[in-house]
Amino acid sequence: MNQNEALAWLAGIFEESPESLRPETPRDEIAAWDSLGVLTLMAELDEKFNIQLEADDMENMKKVQDLLAVLERHGALTPA
Amino acid sequence: MSLSRVDGFRLAGVATCAPPLVVDNSDLGKDFGADEVRKVVSMAGVRRRRVVEPGITATDLCFEAAAALLEQLKWPRESITGLILVTQSPDYFLPSSSCMVHKWLGLPDTCAAFDVGLGCSGYPYGLYLASAMLKAGGHQRILMLHGETPSRFTSPDDHATTLLFGDLGSASALELAPDGPSGYFCLQTDGTGYDGLIMRGGGFRDRTPENPRHRYLEMDGAGIFNFTIKRVPPLIRDTLAFANLNVSDVDAFLFHQSNRFIMKHLAKKCGVPEERMPFTLDEFGNSGGPSVALALTYGLREAERKARRVMMVGYGVGLSWGSALVELNADAALTHATYSGTVARL
Repeated sequence: MNQNEALAWLAGIFEESPESLRPETPRDEIAAWDSLGVLTLMAELDEKFNIQLEADDMENMKKVQDLLAVLERHGALTPA
Repeated sequence: MSLSRVDGFRLAGVATCAPPLVVDNSDLGKDFGADEVRKVVSMAGVRRRRVVEPGITATDLCFEAAAALLEQLKWPRESITGLILVTQSPDYFLPSSSCMVHKWLGLPDTCAAFDVGLGCSGYPYGLYLASAMLKAGGHQRILMLHGETPSRFTSPDDHATTLLFGDLGSASALELAPDGPSGYFCLQTDGTGYDGLIMRGGGFRDRTPENPRHRYLEMDGAGIFNFTIKRVPPLIRDTLAFANLNVSDVDAFLFHQSNRFIMKHLAKKCGVPEERMPFTLDEFGNSGGPSVALALTYGLREAERKARRVMMVGYGVGLSWGSALVELNADAALTHATYSGTVARL
């Protein structure tokens, strides 16, 4: 998965238009990235990539780039 | 890994008892906002909950479940030599709630009675303890009660927990059966997550907390979900492997009714068909560990009660998780009732 595909996938999870998400988009600008949205995200990460987040990952999820970094670290994102 | 096989016992029956008061979550829109309530209800799957009124405790609910079960089984009180009560909602720090039920049921002096402090994982732990006591000798019949009143833990301003929890008592009857089937258990713990679900105040570390929020449950929802998806699938896989069985060999998977979204995710990940995983969240909410018993007494529809081999799965506060893979006789007593408060107590 490349970065554009990853952004489109995340946009689908958070019910945003694909073009509205950029790596620098902060969490608080994404309405559906709330406490329930995190559960959906975690379920999707687990189901699609078998990725389970670590406590540090969860504490440090402040913007879209942080999610891209998780995907990259688990080999699910082709480095730019 | 803590895997155990216990031979020579039989789960003779299970009874559950829920309080009569029904809270409809849709009525709480005025407190938390209609959209917020809709989102939580839709994800957690809790439309209504059964909650206790002030003054009614988990011990009361367990007592009525136990009385109903003994009535159905026609077990003489003198034949019961063990009473285990699993709860994190005790009436008092001391004495143990099990001693109160011992009195109310009129059990003999020859009966051992003790409490076990576990929550969401309590059902398989309690079943293991009871079966191991039978196997150890000196006992013919043991009652394992498991009750919780989580609705009493929740802070009125915390919608994530207030909309989720209901209350329930249960009683399970086990007896020695030398030719009975084997039970398979897996019990595990990760204490590093002890504060993922916690009530910080009220215990001896902080008897009278200055922060009023510390009198109520704090839940790290994302952390608990993360724990669940990491730990529960291997738990099921390892228990089945230990028993030399596959998912298709198990008639029903009786999960702690934590949250519909989480349970559906687990079912998918474990390859468990949803029709073999009963849900009771819609009507009862998350009633903690005893919800495993409710999945059996209420969740399995009458037509499916011929389910013989069941896997019971508990996971949560501790962090603690466990499974019990047991076989039920066709004549096992399974009953569910509403708390009346009128059952005679000795």
